Amino acid sequence: MTTKADHSSASDEQLVGASKRGDMGAFEELVARHRDKIYARAFSMMRNEDEALDLSQEAWVKSWQRLKQFQGESSFGTWMTRIVINLCLDQLRKRKRQRAESIEEMNEESGGAERQMPVVTVNPTEGLERAELRKRIDQALGQLSHEHRTVMVLHEFEEMEYKEIARTMGCSIGTVMSRLFYARRKMAALLANLKTEDSK
Amino acid sequence: MINLDSQLKLQAYLDGELAVEEAAEVSGWLDRDPEARALLNELRNTKAALVGYESAFRLPESREFFWSKIEREIEKQEAAREEAPHVPWYVWLQRHFFPLSGVALLSCFLGVLFIESGRSAGQFGEMEMASDDMGSYTFRDQNDKVTMVWLYNHGDESQFTDPSSVASVEPE
Repeated sequence: MTTKADHSSASDEQLVGASKRGDMGAFEELVARHRDKIYARAFSMMRNEDEALDLSQEAWVKSWQRLKQFQGESSFGTWMTRIVINLCLDQLRKRKRQRAESIEEMNEESGGAERQMPVVTVNPTEGLERAELRKRIDQALGQLSHEHRTVMVLHEFEEMEYKEIARTMGCSIGTVMSRLFYARRKMAALLANLKTEDSK
Repeated sequence: MINLDSQLKLQAYLDGELAVEEAAEVSGWLDRDPEARALLNELRNTKAALVGYESAFRLPESREFFWSKIEREIEKQEAAREEAPHVPWYVWLQRHFFPLSGVALLSCFLGVLFIESGRSAGQFGEMEMASDDMGSYTFRDQNDKVTMVWLYNHGDESQFTDPSSVASVEPE
C-alpha cells in the first residue's frame, strides 16, 4: 500500500502510473503539485476567480477520467494545462454565442485604431515592484477582448507557436498574428496610461 | 508609418517565427529604420513585462478543501455511470432494429433499381445489334389481329422451314 509520504517523494510519472491503477492518493498529490498553475491559466483566460476555480476543478475531474489516454508524450503538467485551456475556450465560445457581436468587437478583430497609435517609447513597467507590475498587468489584461487575451496567454504563458495557437483556436495563422500584435500594442498603451494615471 | 505586413513581420522576428533569410532582411531593415526599432522595442517591453506573471498565482482554497470537491465530483460521476439504467434487450432491439431495417429496405430498393436498369440497358443493347445478314418475313392476320415476324439468317442455306410444315399451311 502506498502511503501519502511515498507520494510526495514520487515523480509525476510514478504518480500518473499509480493513478492509472486507481490510486486516488497519487492523483491527489498530482493535484496538489499542479493546482496553482492550472488555476493561474484558467484565471488568465477567464479573468474571474469563481469561473477559474470551477474550470480548474472540472479539468481535474476530466483528467482523472481520461488518465488512461495520457501516454506521456508531453509532461503531465503540459497535458493538464491543455485540458484546462480547452475547457476555457469552450466556455468562452459558449459565452460568445450568447451575446451579439458588436461593431466595437469587429473593429478589435481587425486591429482598430490601436494598430496605428504612436509607439510607447518609454518602458512603462520599468522600476516597478513585482506586485505592482502584476496589478497593472491584471488591469490591462482585463481590458482586452477574450480573443486577444487568449492569443496572448497561449503565446506568452503557454509558449505556443503561431500555428499551434491557430489550430487550438480554430483560426488562421494570419488572424493569430494580427490578434497578438493588437493585444501587445493595446497592452503597451494600457500600461503606459496606467502609469500616467498613477503619476497624476 | 509602417504598414501592417511589416508590423507583423517585425513581431514574427521578435517571436523567432521567421526563416533565417527573412530574419536577416528584418535585421537589415531595423538597422536602417528608427521607427521599426522603436516598435520592436515596445513589443519587446510588453513581452518582457508578462514574464513570470502567472507564477505568483495561488489557488484561493486549501489543498484539502479543493481536493475534497474534486474527489466528491469524481465519485459522483462514477456512481452515476454505474447506476445508468440497464437497457433490456427488446428496448435495444427496438432502438437499433427499426433504423437498421429502414436502411436495409432502402438498400434493397436501390439494389433492385440498379439491377433493373442494368437489365433494360442490356435489352436495349441487343436491339441495337441488328445484323445486315438478317432478314425477316412479316405475317398479319386481320381476323385475329395478330402480327407475326420471322427472322432468318441470309447466310444460312438451310430451308426457312421444313417442306412438310410449308405444305401444311399452303392453301389447298
